[in-house]
Amino acid sequence: MFKSLIEKNERRSQLSIMAQYLNTCFMISTVDDEYLISIEKGNVTNVEEGPFVMPSYIFKLTASKNEWLKFLQSTPQPGSHDIIAMLRRKVLKFEGDLHPLMSHLLYFKLLLASLRPTESNNEN
Amino acid sequence: MKIEKEPITGNYGKFEIDGVKHRIYWEEAGEGIPLVCLHTAGSDGRQYRALLNDKRILKKYRVIVFDMPWHGKSSPPENSQVGHYKLSTESYISQIMSFIDGLELVKPVVMGCSIGGRIILHLAINFPEKFKALIGLQSAGHLDPYYDISWLHRQDVHGGEVCGGIAYGLMAPTSPENDKFETMWHYMQGGPGIFKGDLFFYKFDGNIGTEIKKIDNSKCPIFLLTGEYDYSATPEETRSLADTIGIEMVKMKNVGHFPMSENPEDFLKYLHPVLEKIN
Repeated sequence: MFKSLIEKNERRSQLSIMAQYLNTCFMISTVDDEYLISIEKGNVTNVEEGPFVMPSYIFKLTASKNEWLKFLQSTPQPGSHDIIAMLRRKVLKFEGDLHPLMSHLLYFKLLLASLRPTESNNEN
Repeated sequence: MKIEKEPITGNYGKFEIDGVKHRIYWEEAGEGIPLVCLHTAGSDGRQYRALLNDKRILKKYRVIVFDMPWHGKSSPPENSQVGHYKLSTESYISQIMSFIDGLELVKPVVMGCSIGGRIILHLAINFPEKFKALIGLQSAGHLDPYYDISWLHRQDVHGGEVCGGIAYGLMAPTSPENDKFETMWHYMQGGPGIFKGDLFFYKFDGNIGTEIKKIDNSKCPIFLLTGEYDYSATPEETRSLADTIGIEMVKMKNVGHFPMSENPEDFLKYLHPVLEKIN
């Protein structure tokens, strides 16, 4: 579900500028599946799909697969359109050291939203 | 290319709020019934730029938008210090009433969004006879904290970046990108701790419980409009509020927490009938 974050870094050059000093590793969980995502200077450099035995990460975002699918719609419904909206509905959990996330909040929102289907995304 | 001048006049003025000298900036346009507009927490009066340019409204209304102290082009009050700003219900009411009295406005309409949509409820409870009507955008009687607002003012996190990130998600994905960006940009320009200080009113001090029942719509008509994508003050919460007051509410499609700023075109379609009814 999140494997494609590794792709199209060049298309996200504007986004990378927003996180040019960010180096971190975070986990996205759909409860059943886990993805370990590495970021260097704002670029996604690796996405590893679990299961993991001893994963090491800075922070973790957990929501059910169904909630992530709703978030990833091209035009998500109210309450599924934003990670803080999901937090408000208590369907998403933030855990760990949240400093990289909160200090680059817009970057992470746009990074995850870049997985939504758009005309340009569909072309490739 | 010749500059296309807008019909807005900007003004600075000095007056006292609760005995303390303030220098306040406000913009206005149009003639007729005074319509005082209140911006959201952590932002400023530029949110109402479309209203201040709407010919249909300006024919019948004198639209007036002030920047709250500490916000936009208004100065902090005398003897201020960084990190100590906290908006209370009393001080918010005082600044609105002092501004209205200072401009000698008689029976204005007041429209507020978010914290402004909350304070109009306090105005309805305390001074219903002072207003021709009150309009609440994104109004809810109370809000329980749902994220840790200490992130909005930390020296190890850029306040403009995090406040912009929070504001961005409160808008509808369907709102025009340019208006969304401008709305977010206002948040990125706020001073350290100001958004967080405003939220003290929104999430704690300004919460209204059973006092909502004191609102008498026959003394002062109240109109409530809420965008469907707002997860801070949700349409369901506004509906509950409207039910308690005994009025209808309008759920606005394709709009989030900042209707007048993030999607003015769609918002004005909802606002025009309300203003015509008041007129």
